[in-house]
Amino acid sequence: MQIQRKMREFSRDPTSLLRRHNDGEAKVVGYMCSGIPEEIIIAAGLQPYRISNIGEHTSSLTPSFICPFASAVLENILRLEDLFQGFIVAHTCDPMWRIFDILKKKVNKPLFFLRVPHNTKNELSFDFMRMEFRRLKMFLERNFVTEINNNSLQSAIELCNHTRDLLRNIYLLNRNNEYKVKASDYFSLVLASAWMSKQEFNALVEASEFGSGKGQGNIRLHVNGTAIYDLNLITVIEDSGGFVVSDDLCTGSRYFWDNVEPSQDPLSALTSRYLTRTPCPAQNPLDDRLRYLSDMVASFNARGVITYAEKFCDPILYDFVHIRNKLASDGIPSLLVDYESPTQEINRIRNRVEAFIETLGD
Amino acid sequence: MKLNSRKKKRSRVLQTTRKIGELIVNYFSKAWDVKTQDKPVAWITVFTPVELLYALDVYPIAPEHFGALCSARGTILDYLKEAEKEGYSQDLCSYSRCCLGYALSGLNGPMPAPDMLVTFRNACDVYVKWWQSLHIHLGTPMFIGEAPYVLTYDDLNNYVLDYVVKQLEQLIELTQNKFGVKLDMEKLVNAVNLSDKASELWLQTLKLRRVRPCPLGGRDSASDIFPLVVMQGTEEAVEFYDELLAEVRDRVKRKEGVIEKEEFRLMFDGIWLWHAFDIIKYFEDKGAVFVHEPYSEAWAFRLDSSKPLESIARKVLSMGLNTDIDLRMEKFADTIEDYHIDGAILFSNRSCKSWSAPQLVTAETLNNQLNIPYLMFEGDMADPRQYSEAQVKGRIDAFMEMLSES
Repeated sequence: MQIQRKMREFSRDPTSLLRRHNDGEAKVVGYMCSGIPEEIIIAAGLQPYRISNIGEHTSSLTPSFICPFASAVLENILRLEDLFQGFIVAHTCDPMWRIFDILKKKVNKPLFFLRVPHNTKNELSFDFMRMEFRRLKMFLERNFVTEINNNSLQSAIELCNHTRDLLRNIYLLNRNNEYKVKASDYFSLVLASAWMSKQEFNALVEASEFGSGKGQGNIRLHVNGTAIYDLNLITVIEDSGGFVVSDDLCTGSRYFWDNVEPSQDPLSALTSRYLTRTPCPAQNPLDDRLRYLSDMVASFNARGVITYAEKFCDPILYDFVHIRNKLASDGIPSLLVDYESPTQEINRIRNRVEAFIETLGD
Repeated sequence: MKLNSRKKKRSRVLQTTRKIGELIVNYFSKAWDVKTQDKPVAWITVFTPVELLYALDVYPIAPEHFGALCSARGTILDYLKEAEKEGYSQDLCSYSRCCLGYALSGLNGPMPAPDMLVTFRNACDVYVKWWQSLHIHLGTPMFIGEAPYVLTYDDLNNYVLDYVVKQLEQLIELTQNKFGVKLDMEKLVNAVNLSDKASELWLQTLKLRRVRPCPLGGRDSASDIFPLVVMQGTEEAVEFYDELLAEVRDRVKRKEGVIEKEEFRLMFDGIWLWHAFDIIKYFEDKGAVFVHEPYSEAWAFRLDSSKPLESIARKVLSMGLNTDIDLRMEKFADTIEDYHIDGAILFSNRSCKSWSAPQLVTAETLNNQLNIPYLMFEGDMADPRQYSEAQVKGRIDAFMEMLSES
């Protein structure tokens, strides 16, 4: 249980880890999206660090109708710029795209824009994405005077695969109608894995035991959405008689579900992994995402799905219509909860979640 | 004398602009003719290569244009509500809600049902989500192309360009297989030449707005872009821009401006407010004329018919919003000088997050580096419920006062 407490502390104040990296003279590169290949950053001898919205509200540099998550992330980057040596932005959705524009005008650190193909199933996307990964590799080599070779890439891939294995094994404990690990615990683990050095994280997890969680009898739920750093959104479900067994969050299974397959060409292996990973709400085809969601719900015996949507989040707000319809045809009820600031709206969110769980319990 | 006490001034819309209404009616009526003849109709997002579709005998219709039209004619609310009834949030793009509402309410109107959905992600990422939704509701085959963000002009000649060219080839193959048609290269070259000609004429026309008094205002440019949106590659588009250029040249020769006494020359950054079109006249009544809009220029792109696909790919990539912010700012700086701009109006459009998100940084550049005062206001291009006319006009009054005093 000690590790869970530690991880929750980290998730309340991830900046402490960032400062620790700086104290240890690690060169930290910030990024925001689970689609960024951390392996390339690690292979360059740099420390990847996932920038969250924790501790910030929306930025005065964005209009009021832009996703508050993206806006708060922007604010965190500007506030913490000195603790980073560079930033990588992925082109997933419109706000993230335009945050790159704003950062270009506002930060003085090396900045990279990764153009992620939106159509993952197109056969041309592989070559394009590989070229973009190659460009990222060259950007890191040039700006941090380092060399990334196949050996360093292979080592980084093995390291990250090991982290994914550890996270996935804990996650799978809840399969077969089990109630072994509370989601608020494993989500804080996932977050910590994106903030800590992978070696340190892996060692900590290996030395700990999981699987003694309680929650028997609660309603099994799947959570759909993008990035959730405020774990009150998860505990509010647990406090209301729910038990989150699966998810497709950028701060959840989307981050660690798929491993990089071994290959002679590590850059190609990475391309393949990031192109075919758990479908991202901003990408095509949507059918893959709907299928994935249905499969997760079925294999973890979830009885309902809660979609958390940041206000103004286009991908989730379009998808919700189709997710609701697909789940309804599978006989699975769903609930959309949108919010701008979970802290300020937690009671409203609690009321809606409680009512939903009550209907499922009947 | 106080600006707001001035009498309304006479302002002139070009004769050629008045023909746009007829062109639009003919355009939609032709779409139904095509449908009746069992020929394919494609729904496209704007900045999709219509030249290619014409050469493949596929008739392109842009639901974004339909959304603007419905908004201008006051018929959009029923469609918006239909989409919202299905669960689409009011925070989503109003063009997309209008189109989805139209699709969900039985496709009864000027747009015949699509046989194909084609988009290239260039202006925004919403295109992907919107087209996915249409694809699911209508079950129509879909092509989603990717035009990566142009970071430097090198991208118009490297692997980024190749990627788009190959996607155009995929689109050709898909269309040929789906409809049993064959790309006629002669037809493509002809469409590319006609599109290039229309762009050339429009760019020449826009250039004449540098002249004082400005011969073509916002009410003209907002309408005049229509043939460039969906008719690029047709004779009708070239004829229209030929006639327009002649009329504008004539105005220049006669030193006749949009308004009688041109006091301020403004730039408009954003998509026009189709439901509140009189806002342009409101500025004109205060002695201000719009002489430049990035939106008007975005539709024109010079093409080279000796390399039609490459050339079209560059066009798909280069649309204004898809080019790096520094490149966009460089263009702003040149424009402000060339067009003698006194102030900028930035429309923070709730429906176009891609355009609006970096606008505050754009405003900073305008103000601090280019010394151009600006007014920014919020609203929605097509949804009249998301706009407060009195509030916006009050802010315009204050801005114009400030301009007149500086």
